[in-house]
Amino acid sequence: MSKGEIIAGFLAPHPPHLVYGENPAQNEAKSKGGWEQLRWAYERARVSLEELKPDVLLVHSPHWITQQGHHFLGVKHLSGKSVDPIFPNLFRYNFELEVDIELAEACCANGAEMGLTTKMMRNPNFRVDYGTITTLHMIRPEWDIPVVGISANNSPYYLTTEEGLEEMDILGKATRKAIEDSGRRAVLLASNTLCHYHFSEEPVPPEDMAQEHPQNYEGYLWDMRMIDLLRQGKTSEVFALLPQFINEAFAEVKSGAFTWMFSGMDYPELAGELHGYGTVIGTGNAVMEWNLIKAGIAKAA
Amino acid sequence: MTVVSAFLIPGSPLPFVQRDNPAWGAIADALDVAGKALSASQPDVIIVYSTQWIAVLDQLWQTKPHLKDIHVDENWHEYGDLPFDIRIDTDLADAAVKATNKAGIKSKGVNYDKFPIDTGSIIAANFLNAEGKTPFVITANNVYHDWKMTETLGKIAVEEAAKQNKKVAVVGVGGLSGSIFRQVIDIAEDKIASEDEDQWNRKILSLIEKGDVETLLSECPAYAGEARVDMGFKHMAFILGAIGGDYASATVHAYGPLYGSGGAVVEFHLN
Repeated sequence: MSKGEIIAGFLAPHPPHLVYGENPAQNEAKSKGGWEQLRWAYERARVSLEELKPDVLLVHSPHWITQQGHHFLGVKHLSGKSVDPIFPNLFRYNFELEVDIELAEACCANGAEMGLTTKMMRNPNFRVDYGTITTLHMIRPEWDIPVVGISANNSPYYLTTEEGLEEMDILGKATRKAIEDSGRRAVLLASNTLCHYHFSEEPVPPEDMAQEHPQNYEGYLWDMRMIDLLRQGKTSEVFALLPQFINEAFAEVKSGAFTWMFSGMDYPELAGELHGYGTVIGTGNAVMEWNLIKAGIAKAA
Repeated sequence: MTVVSAFLIPGSPLPFVQRDNPAWGAIADALDVAGKALSASQPDVIIVYSTQWIAVLDQLWQTKPHLKDIHVDENWHEYGDLPFDIRIDTDLADAAVKATNKAGIKSKGVNYDKFPIDTGSIIAANFLNAEGKTPFVITANNVYHDWKMTETLGKIAVEEAAKQNKKVAVVGVGGLSGSIFRQVIDIAEDKIASEDEDQWNRKILSLIEKGDVETLLSECPAYAGEARVDMGFKHMAFILGAIGGDYASATVHAYGPLYGSGGAVVEFHLN
């Protein structure tokens, strides 16, 4: 078996509004569109993913919150209707997904070996969170690539931000080793929004784009500063600024997916490709790609 | 009198899914006692505020008439399923939505198939209304609402029940101290994770038992901060708002650890 590789990472935020705006058959709620800049950003990311031809997608979601350890979906086939508890008017999505159990177990075991508390989620009645589902739908609506779903342990909130993100760094390293040992060609999906200040009321209708703009100017400036650094490949500078960014922009990257993904990729000083940026109920969202094949870090299929 | 009984209970699923563990079994037994007391008070409706139902935009109220499904806790999934069968007093829930909006707290009802019912609400329903005889009104914990606004929610819910000539049992669902064991433990040896937090819990429960509301209110901000109390102890604010801010005394039927965090089953004796 050849050595597995992480072939790309995507910053792939999960506002359910994007699914709502797209009107896929799986979602009960219907719209007149909306959030096109972000949805079209995902369309560009989908083309890139198609070219990458990964064996597996790994997604770390801040809406599967676990207090005790880092958990991994561990049931081969999961299906059901996912209703967003915050935006049930927008997201009622019938999903089916296949889990790469072998890789999930390897990630879980490696994390434990590296000192983390980890668990496999084996309950077939488990309800997959809407963050995982939204990110997966937006990046690959065909649902034809196996998945590893990873919870967001609340360590960055329970401990200090820095201590929590150290755990996410270890989780990324554990993930990378599992992928290498598996022989898989894997894509990592960090399901995170940037600035997370949001409006407290929804417009009527929710897709009224005349009402959509950054909720917080300082947060917007932070988003642009971080995206600019990421586009220049200044990864170490981004991570030096990350705690301040999290603190001042209330950034959702605090929950760990962004750090997990970059740790998995070994923090390449590689220019990220911005597929698009937009706000959703005032929060800042960027769809970005780090293609390790194009960069010559990973091998093409 | 509109409010005929009031309770503070933990929302952890552990006493329900693993009651043969002595520490958690004691809380389960106490929840059974609370369920009998609630039943004896013969309410027309049980009003529940659960810290685990998180809202961030509006104040949410469950308005689906019948909720029946299986829930799996996102953290404690290995212990099994949480079945539930809950009936909602939609007349009262709708009235609460209207009244809270009128009071300036933006609210709405949620009536959706497969809407994720939180673990705490399910635990309240399964222990306190095991036979499913009494309908519920269930409302969310908006994370941006403070103590005073949460008190107002409880007050308005009971006022609307009074307008409908309904007797109410009030239930605040949430934990006490919040430090947990982050690693896997032998559950038979579960204990409060922090001695300081244990002392805080005992001090607050003592004040609650005595009905010393004035001191309780003055201590709550420090308690919430120093003992990492579940959602700032807002479930207590909801109860106090609902019962008019005062009561005679309370009985702590159980206090104990829930994987390191604190949980108590408290029955309030009303004036």
